[in-house]
Amino acid sequence: MDFLEELKELGVNTEEGLARLNKNEALYKKLLGTFTGLIENYYVGPDFDEMDYEEITEKAHAIKGAAGNLSITPVYSAYTRIVELLRAGKPQEAKEVLKKILPIQQGIVRCIDKYKAQ
Amino acid sequence: MEKGKTILIVDDVDINRTILAEVFKNDYNIIEAGNGKQALKVMDENDKISAVLLDLLMPEMNGLDVLREMNKNGKIKSIPVFLITAANSERLLLDGYHLGAVDVIMKPFLTHFLRHRISNVIELYAHRNQLESIVEEQVQKLNEVNRSMVETLATLIEFRDCESGEHVRRICGLTRILMTKVSEMYPEYRLPKKEIDKIVTSSILHDVGKISIPDGILNKPGRLTKEEFEIMKLHTVKGCEILEQIPHIMDQGIYNYSSDICRHHHERWDGSGYPDALAGDDISIWAQVVSVADVYDALTSERVYKPPYDHDAAVNMIYNGECGVFNPKVLNAFEASLLTIAGKDWISEE
Repeated sequence: MDFLEELKELGVNTEEGLARLNKNEALYKKLLGTFTGLIENYYVGPDFDEMDYEEITEKAHAIKGAAGNLSITPVYSAYTRIVELLRAGKPQEAKEVLKKILPIQQGIVRCIDKYKAQ
Repeated sequence: MEKGKTILIVDDVDINRTILAEVFKNDYNIIEAGNGKQALKVMDENDKISAVLLDLLMPEMNGLDVLREMNKNGKIKSIPVFLITAANSERLLLDGYHLGAVDVIMKPFLTHFLRHRISNVIELYAHRNQLESIVEEQVQKLNEVNRSMVETLATLIEFRDCESGEHVRRICGLTRILMTKVSEMYPEYRLPKKEIDKIVTSSILHDVGKISIPDGILNKPGRLTKEEFEIMKLHTVKGCEILEQIPHIMDQGIYNYSSDICRHHHERWDGSGYPDALAGDDISIWAQVVSVADVYDALTSERVYKPPYDHDAAVNMIYNGECGVFNPKVLNAFEASLLTIAGKDWISEE
């Protein structure tokens, strides 16, 4: 299956993402490759300290913005909720959302990494 | 299209910067910055920025702090700033608007709308900036015309006083040197250059009241009698009355300074001057400065009743209080300016 088709199956709105980049497919693919690096650098795990999560909020916010711009919709929607919950002082609930999105996020990252390796 | 114009994109996440750059790269030059500090540096080094696309939440310096700095340095007036953010906090966005952001664009954005919104505002700002510079140019020309009218008037009066108009230029030059020095040395007297320029122009008319003094007194070769001196002193008050009749030839600021200088340039720090016997800082600093300038010029110039003193002799007479008591701070500024004053180059600059 084509790389973008595979991402589409995983819920990524590739058409919208491409339109945002003037349909520049090469650049879109390149930025998707950069996104996996961002996920690694700004990793948000479900074991964060529930008393001190300001830095985690900033990281989640960064993932939200980039995922939104690349139309990685499932990740964008989940991190939008996570940021809202963290800002509302509900880290426990944020963790629940995070636990649900991580496998989906990992699937998307694996798909991109597979393409990068080719 | 707009290729001469430059957009500065500020975001700590390079993916977001690259996407925005892709949207605008065909129409604008693009400069990227990874945080607020870098953005301010770019704006300092590049005066051709047409718009800033600014992320709100960034390390080092966030978007609101960038806006605060742009308010301090005045750049917010000429450069439109768009907040491009995934933050949906109402308070943050309102703060952004209050600090002068022209619009907020939420991530993820729709390319088509983003391009149009930003291009439209860039065009509006370009027109506004162009209009402002035209107005500024016109004001500058108008000020020059006003100044030449004032100078012409003052020169005509000077001819009655057997002067050639050089006295006016010398007073302007001395006033500029002293006022600038006083402003630099003493925070309590600090004034922006624009105000100092107005004071310099206003100093031209300090003796306009002499037109009302009879020739026999104005050009008397010998010492004035007590009665004649009393008439001579009236030139300060008469000057203000004349200015009241011609306020339209100058702007309000220059009129106010001129009127004050005209009336009070013979007041002295110890209250021994005229016409109101004001003392200390009841005398405006500009009137005090013109007093010293006027005395120095009178001493170093030939008059019908005296030969000119040389620079050193004139300076000593001012320090010794032979021409009345002056504000010690103004005298310090005078002392700090002596080399410049003795150089005489400043006369041709006015």
